[in-house]
Amino acid sequence: MYGWIWRHLPGNAWVRALISLLLVLAVVYVLFQYVFPWAEPLLPFNDVTVDNGMAVNQ
Amino acid sequence: MRPRTVVRTLSELCVTTGALLVLFVVYVLYWTGVRADSAMDEELGRLQDRWSRGAVGAAAAPGEPEAAPEQQLGDTPPEEGAPPGQPPDKPGDPSASSPQPGAPSRTPPRTDTPGQAPPAGAGPRAGRAFAVMYVPRFGAGWAKPVLEGTGTELLKRGLGHYERTARPGAPGNFAVAGHRRTYGDPFKDLDELRAGDAVVINDGTTWFTYRVDGRPYRTRPDDTGVIDPVPAASGYRTPGRYLTLTTCEPEWGHSHRLIVWAHLDATSPVAQGRPGALSA
Repeated sequence: MYGWIWRHLPGNAWVRALISLLLVLAVVYVLFQYVFPWAEPLLPFNDVTVDNGMAVNQ
Repeated sequence: MRPRTVVRTLSELCVTTGALLVLFVVYVLYWTGVRADSAMDEELGRLQDRWSRGAVGAAAAPGEPEAAPEQQLGDTPPEEGAPPGQPPDKPGDPSASSPQPGAPSRTPPRTDTPGQAPPAGAGPRAGRAFAVMYVPRFGAGWAKPVLEGTGTELLKRGLGHYERTARPGAPGNFAVAGHRRTYGDPFKDLDELRAGDAVVINDGTTWFTYRVDGRPYRTRPDDTGVIDPVPAASGYRTPGRYLTLTTCEPEWGHSHRLIVWAHLDATSPVAQGRPGALSA
């Protein structure tokens, strides 16, 4: 998979390394901005109230 | 497909999964805290702005507490006339400085009509910060905004006030929820609170100093009785001005809740400066 990506990137090794870095950063951004905020409520750290039924509606 | 390709693809998948997990842990343990801390600072700043503009308490001149109307909250039980300012007669109550009869109450009786925008001068708008909480036991710099409501999104920006409970300093139970872990860990050390510890609330016009009673209490997640005006398990027997803090228990789980109760010990106008509990 990673080899395939590397082979399909344009330019010489330095350009490819730079593009790879940008790709990694883009993936991390998408994860932190969209994927993890969606996944985080599945963990038990949000339940701090004694009336979750009420809180859910807000 | 050659075995070599299969092995390589599998290895890459494992490495990718591992990296994802590490990143997620970083997100939960660190990044939520970064985001929450900046959100809470923002809320505090906005609150200070609002207070310095005098949006709060033009009516409640500092030092002129008016008598709090009884039956202030719709859900205060109709116990026969809770005398305002009656110190909670709990055994071992320090009652050092008597609570002033009638904490300044700018909030007229709240109508508990859901969805209705509160009229001007009524309780704070849902989702908005209206007070700052200080707990010296959590550190001298520990100050968190208290927002109206306990929604999941709201609790990422500060502590949440249970909407149906009393206002700070008012007769009844001022109940506040906060994260134990993640999102800034505001109530990380809630289990370290002990009897006599101060929990100070500033609502822009008044400092309310509450004192913790007993040790933190562990209960079930659906035990809404702990935020009753007179919580049955708290040891309080008479109506008074109480405070309840709730968070999750165990620290990293959600099987239980951790509860801390306190009673109002002293009030002082903001103009008089920080109360003794904070300068000590």
